[in-house]
Amino acid sequence: MENNTTSNEYVRGTLKTIVLNLLAEHDRMYGYEITQEVKERTGGAIALTFGALYPVLHKLEQEGMLLTESVEVDGRLRKYYSLTSPGSEAARNKTNDLERFIDAVRLLLAPKNLATE
Amino acid sequence: MKRLHEDRIDLIKSYLKSRKLSPELLPEILDHLACEAEERLWDGKPFEQIYSSIVETADNEVVLNLNADHKNLLAMEKSLNDIVFEGRNKLYGAYDLRKSYGQTIQKSVLMGVALFGMIVFFPNLYARLVPDPKPGDIAYIVEARPIDITRELPKPMPEKPEPAPEAKTLRSLPPVVMQDDEVAMENLPPVLKELENAAPAAKTLEGIEDLEIIVPPAAEFGNAKTAAADVKTREESIFLHVEQAPEYMGGVQAMAAFLQKNLKYPVAAARAGIQGRVFVQFTVGSDGNIEDVTALKGIGFGCDEEAVRVVKMMQNWMPGRQAGNPVRVKFTLPIAFQIN
Repeated sequence: MENNTTSNEYVRGTLKTIVLNLLAEHDRMYGYEITQEVKERTGGAIALTFGALYPVLHKLEQEGMLLTESVEVDGRLRKYYSLTSPGSEAARNKTNDLERFIDAVRLLLAPKNLATE
Repeated sequence: MKRLHEDRIDLIKSYLKSRKLSPELLPEILDHLACEAEERLWDGKPFEQIYSSIVETADNEVVLNLNADHKNLLAMEKSLNDIVFEGRNKLYGAYDLRKSYGQTIQKSVLMGVALFGMIVFFPNLYARLVPDPKPGDIAYIVEARPIDITRELPKPMPEKPEPAPEAKTLRSLPPVVMQDDEVAMENLPPVLKELENAAPAAKTLEGIEDLEIIVPPAAEFGNAKTAAADVKTREESIFLHVEQAPEYMGGVQAMAAFLQKNLKYPVAAARAGIQGRVFVQFTVGSDGNIEDVTALKGIGFGCDEEAVRVVKMMQNWMPGRQAGNPVRVKFTLPIAFQIN
């Protein structure tokens, strides 16, 4: 739980990129599927809570990055998300941005003598 | 594979509703929690335990935060209209009107400006497109066709011989031997005294005494004129029916050929597909000239005028005759216009 709260702090800023990137790899996904995928691939290091995920999904939909389709499954509505063409472009851009940011952060976090080399 | 029972889904749903979860998020969160619950069911956990853990993860604070986050993230797009119409019927129409108000105003302003501009610049544009005529330009060509006007001259009337003033005469016949009873007393030969002022003649006339030369007096010309005018009115009267009807010189066939040759189908009538007969009335003068040509009953589109024009061109008619004398006769000629 403690681990989760610390990771949440960083996840919050990168959540959009993570979601877009995952959707770029899959045809379409629903909310729970995204959380499960994240959990599996990070070995549980990052756990998305529904409280953080769904507002972001809605926001991306509002921005025209995502298309949704509702399918009834087992007596309840399941909302599938897929990327629109501006969405996939944004996924590429944001992924590149994040990678550069991570590299920069890594340089910052590394010991000083290594960074100056 | 264990599926969550509908009752249990409803249970979670009513719980989320009781926590006042935003209806926009509700179906998705429900699906999410149901998936989670199913996974735990597969792990073999009892539903009650799962439910309590769900309630724990989705407690009041979490739901409130979720609602707030959701609202804040989407709030940028929310306008005054959305706030005004929150929780009201947006399908009623007023929402649409308010929402599209800006666009409507924009459109109408553009249209108004465009229309105004058009009205203002139309004369200018027109002047540019249609250049002013140069002084040398010919606008219309009017073909002048000489028109024969034959004026009907009043025919010199045969003057009725004025009865010449006669000399006073007395019946003075040469004496004839007769029976006594056959002798009429008034036929007695004139006495010499009576013959002083009169000349002997076969009849007794109350003439002018002592008249030697017979000269029509100048003052009496007026009398002669009125007599001539009298005769004229009688001669010039227009007949409707005469003993010998007027005829085109050469007969009906020649007239038909003449009409055929000269009649032109008016363009307007041909375009409108007009056909029919034009009744042209005219007067054949005693000299064979055509006068007073009018279209009695026509079909319009220039046909009437064309018929009148061609009839006016005909001049050589044989006048109608009444008692052997040429007279003016009113004549009606139907001219057929037919599109072949």
